[in-house]
Amino acid sequence: MLDEMDLAGQALQVTLWRPEEYEQARTRLRAAMAEAGPLPEAALATAPVPLRGRGVPEAGRRRRHLGPRGKFGIGAGIAVAAAVALAVALAVAPASPPAATTAWPAPRASAATPPLMTLAARITAGRSTVPGDASLVIATKQLGSTTEVVYSLYTDSGSLYTGDDKKTLTAAVMKNENQADGFNDVEKPARYAASGDLATARKMMAEVSAGNDDYFLSYAARKKIWDENLSALRAVLRAKGSTAVPQMPTGQVLQDDINQVIWNGCQDALLWSGNDPQARAGVMRLLSTIPGLTVAHSTTDGQPTLIITAGPQGFGNFTQVLTVSAATGLPLSLVSSAPGAGTGRETDQNSRVTVAAIRAGKF
Amino acid sequence: MASDAELIGRSLAGDEAAFVEVICRHEVAIGAYLERRVGHEAARDLLGDVWVAAFESRGTYDQSFAGARPWLYAIALNRLRRYWRSRPPEELVPDVTGMAEGWDPWPTVDVRVDTRVFRAALAGLRTAEREVLTLVAGEDLTVADAARVLGLPAGTARRLLFQARTGLRNAPGVAALLAELNSVKGSK
Repeated sequence: MLDEMDLAGQALQVTLWRPEEYEQARTRLRAAMAEAGPLPEAALATAPVPLRGRGVPEAGRRRRHLGPRGKFGIGAGIAVAAAVALAVALAVAPASPPAATTAWPAPRASAATPPLMTLAARITAGRSTVPGDASLVIATKQLGSTTEVVYSLYTDSGSLYTGDDKKTLTAAVMKNENQADGFNDVEKPARYAASGDLATARKMMAEVSAGNDDYFLSYAARKKIWDENLSALRAVLRAKGSTAVPQMPTGQVLQDDINQVIWNGCQDALLWSGNDPQARAGVMRLLSTIPGLTVAHSTTDGQPTLIITAGPQGFGNFTQVLTVSAATGLPLSLVSSAPGAGTGRETDQNSRVTVAAIRAGKF
Repeated sequence: MASDAELIGRSLAGDEAAFVEVICRHEVAIGAYLERRVGHEAARDLLGDVWVAAFESRGTYDQSFAGARPWLYAIALNRLRRYWRSRPPEELVPDVTGMAEGWDPWPTVDVRVDTRVFRAALAGLRTAEREVLTLVAGEDLTVADAARVLGLPAGTARRLLFQARTGLRNAPGVAALLAELNSVKGSK
């Protein structure tokens, strides 16, 4: 059965060139090689270090899925900066003694705990309905000299639509191009966290956000995965001029990894929980378990807000500033930056809308 | 057999033959990609430029990707853009629509089929949609790799491909063309 992709494939076929035509191009390359000197050290230093293999949990494994923020969120420049920073951490992390359960310790209160817990209680008590039936996120990403804008619509019914502008977003909704694909799984652990055990909630959120349960395997199981991927990782580091021997993340490095995926999962959950105060309250309780977060009171357009800052310590040298309503916990903006890279920055504007208004192009 | 990433790693250590081996693996695909966009003569000249650009930028290759083909497509696309910018306006080739001229893309399709229908449908797509479609349908890349070539989020590339396929299916005459081809195929 032929379809339009088969037709396109046939339409794009071309014939093979004569062998001497390929050789002509190779000759051009060899001439350039002869003229070139050794590769400058600086060029090697800028080569991005792969995220894959940076930590045991995801070493050599593909995530079951990327959350919406992973797909459309944190800019590549920031990811690279984080990767570079994590690679440094890998190179210097001491080999910690095996500890079977270090990945799942009881959460400790942080400085951010009181205001976040207060907001969680306020959300739970209020259970106020919010306007609209969907959350619209307009992400402006600056990567170097390039600026990209992505419109994402998270509906309360669990659908996700995206577009490059208002017109294409409206078209995506009209054509029912739903891309949710299970990305709203993060709501479940968020709802559990509203009144459940926080250590269990952290484990649930980390697993859903990362797309696997590797963080919580035994030391031996994680070591086995690490060793399977070690030679490939060392080859990459060698090619980049590093002689460091990567160490399997344990202890604090592992905890930082887990806290980062929980942070990401919480942000995704906020995007999906516009009409779910229980999940938003749970997110605030989960965030309170992440060490190093700071929370400040502020106002945005006259409304009280909380400004929650993560990183750079413990977050691979990147910083994210999440602003939420101090009344509802709904996210208003997210600014990500990576001082080391200096090129990646993303600002998200979040607002409540109706799907009908999007369909009508009235937003 | 060593992966492209390993060969590029060796070339960074001074093994120039390793890099030549990489380009030998992909020269047919990259040459065809260039030819689809600018025709045979120009593609023949550009291929050498692509190899030189790739060699000069190999230090930035992310070796966590074993296969280098998407990276080479991205370099080829950059060279194409530079080529198009350097052309006088009257000589510009409107990317994929240019394939309607000068060569027959239908060696495997029954001669009775009116190929202009499909060509017109392709020409009617938005540039970004055609870019993704070309890489996936013409170059056999995954959507994720096509996104990597174009510097897009994978979700955006998926959406563009979805829109391109929908646009083709809904284009005047394409449904009838597909029905005819499938009917001919089914009767054999």
